[in-house]
Amino acid sequence: MPEKLKNYIGGEWVESATDKYVPVYNPATCEVLAECPESTAEDVDKAVRAAAEAFPEWRSTPVLSRAQYMHHFKNLIEERFEDLARCIVEENGKTLDEARGEVRRGIESVDFAMGVPFLMRNDGVEDLSSGIDESTVRQPVGVFAAITPFNFPMMVPLWFLPTAITCGNTYIMKPSPQTPISMKLTYELLDELDLPEGVVNLVHGGIAAADAILKHPGIAGISFVGSSPVAKKVYEVGTAHGKRVQAQGGAKNYIAVMPDADIESSVRNILGAAYGCAGQRCLAAAVAVGVGDAYDKLRDELVKQVQNLRVGYGLDETTQMGTVISTQAKERIERLIQQGVDEGAAVVVDGRNLTVEGYENGTFVGPTILENVTPDMTVAREEIFGPVLALIKANSFEEAVDLINGSSYGNAASIFTSSGKYAREFKYHVRAGNIGVNIGVAAPSASFPFGGQKDSFFGDLHGQGSDSIEFFTDRKIVIERWF
Amino acid sequence: MASLNTFGAILTHAINLETALRDYYQRIGKADRAKAADKRRQTMERIRRETVLEITLEPIDGLDEADYVLDLSDSSEAAQQAVEESAARFYRDVAPKINVRQAQRALERAGKEHQELANS
Repeated sequence: MPEKLKNYIGGEWVESATDKYVPVYNPATCEVLAECPESTAEDVDKAVRAAAEAFPEWRSTPVLSRAQYMHHFKNLIEERFEDLARCIVEENGKTLDEARGEVRRGIESVDFAMGVPFLMRNDGVEDLSSGIDESTVRQPVGVFAAITPFNFPMMVPLWFLPTAITCGNTYIMKPSPQTPISMKLTYELLDELDLPEGVVNLVHGGIAAADAILKHPGIAGISFVGSSPVAKKVYEVGTAHGKRVQAQGGAKNYIAVMPDADIESSVRNILGAAYGCAGQRCLAAAVAVGVGDAYDKLRDELVKQVQNLRVGYGLDETTQMGTVISTQAKERIERLIQQGVDEGAAVVVDGRNLTVEGYENGTFVGPTILENVTPDMTVAREEIFGPVLALIKANSFEEAVDLINGSSYGNAASIFTSSGKYAREFKYHVRAGNIGVNIGVAAPSASFPFGGQKDSFFGDLHGQGSDSIEFFTDRKIVIERWF
Repeated sequence: MASLNTFGAILTHAINLETALRDYYQRIGKADRAKAADKRRQTMERIRRETVLEITLEPIDGLDEADYVLDLSDSSEAAQQAVEESAARFYRDVAPKINVRQAQRALERAGKEHQELANS
């Protein structure tokens, strides 16, 4: 019998109030790994109460002590590194290298949180008027929550939780019901830290739990990562209920390849960008724009290199691309490929109807390349969230930039070039929150905010970096005079 | 035999290689060499854990486990030299294929150590 997952509330593993559970599948083997509860508003309310009760003591715990918990947390993650990576592969379907990379990026966020004692410092000025001093202090806000996606089931939650609690807040995590087990393992490590009860809470579930989080008056702020329509809704509902919200949405990331680029090296990196995590990254390369003479070379090299990509089960270390998350995702991706064909695109490499020996029921979609794509086609506009790369030809650098800026999304864009001038112009003119120069996946490290513009982000302060300190604290101005 | 076509596959092969060498040298009573192999195993485990950079993961081609099989059934000096030559060649071949400098450096260093043992 698969394990029925429990919530973690007030320092204890507790059953949800619901009797509805959904299966958590291994997308390669179709094995049911666990049963995830569809937690209710009642469960969320219990978590909020526990977190609110823990807040006064936790916020007055010295910041250096709060940071020390992060040192211990990091050590525990390092000890369980391989277990966590394997768990991510099993529930998400990505490769072991990708899963190890995800755990490492999660640890990077814990490293960042260790710096909170420095990052929360503020400034002051003496004698703004005679004998009157003015200073600012940063204070934690209260209870925060995150609603996180399936594609990075460990890394994305750790963008938020470590910094939030080290700043003195208390926390509620609601991971994706498709990939809840990584967070269960992570919370087992948090449980070993002996944090005060209620500082960190875990509520599994889907729409009902998310909706309760968005509307609960006891929650001060929400971090969300997911698709753009949902991010917009989360932002609207959350802010309407008086919360600060950072909602990171979807993307359609363009890559421009200039005639002066080193094509072979560029394509090797573009393959990782387009097909890494089976294209299920909000920073995945979705459209490659070959500029002038670069187009044919780019197309030919892509076709040559992509044939060698080995698709399979992520736990096999020779696998270079894993599954997509579910049967529904596979069907949607394959439907969008067909829609591209119907609208006039040509399939150069077709990943549909792929079966992998030994995993015949796995949700595999092979790497796919579409050409003759025009900007008005669905495959050039809509997020596919799968291993599909659309090729577009541009006659000039300026035309490529116009194509990129014509997208409604603005998560990331990259240029492959050996020209400093083009790189500079690209950084300057392209409207996207994360820019890559000869890097296909422009993923900021934990000390930089995760950019996102246009329909890829709703809010003011982004996740990670200095923005996260702003998001998880309030500034108080103190003006003082002594008689 | 499997292809060494990913960062993890290469590092895991290095870990397995050093584990096998540690056991081999323990068996034939060469404690210093066993200890050195175990240290390299630990280094490779740390490198696999700490230097994997998701944004620069790229497919690797042209390497196969079958080319680096060690014959650990023979304990003669000549056999030990052959084993060390093979290990050195493995590290020499894989290091340039890795695009993370810290990992590359660890692989180069291990290769150098094996070459020195082969030459001794």
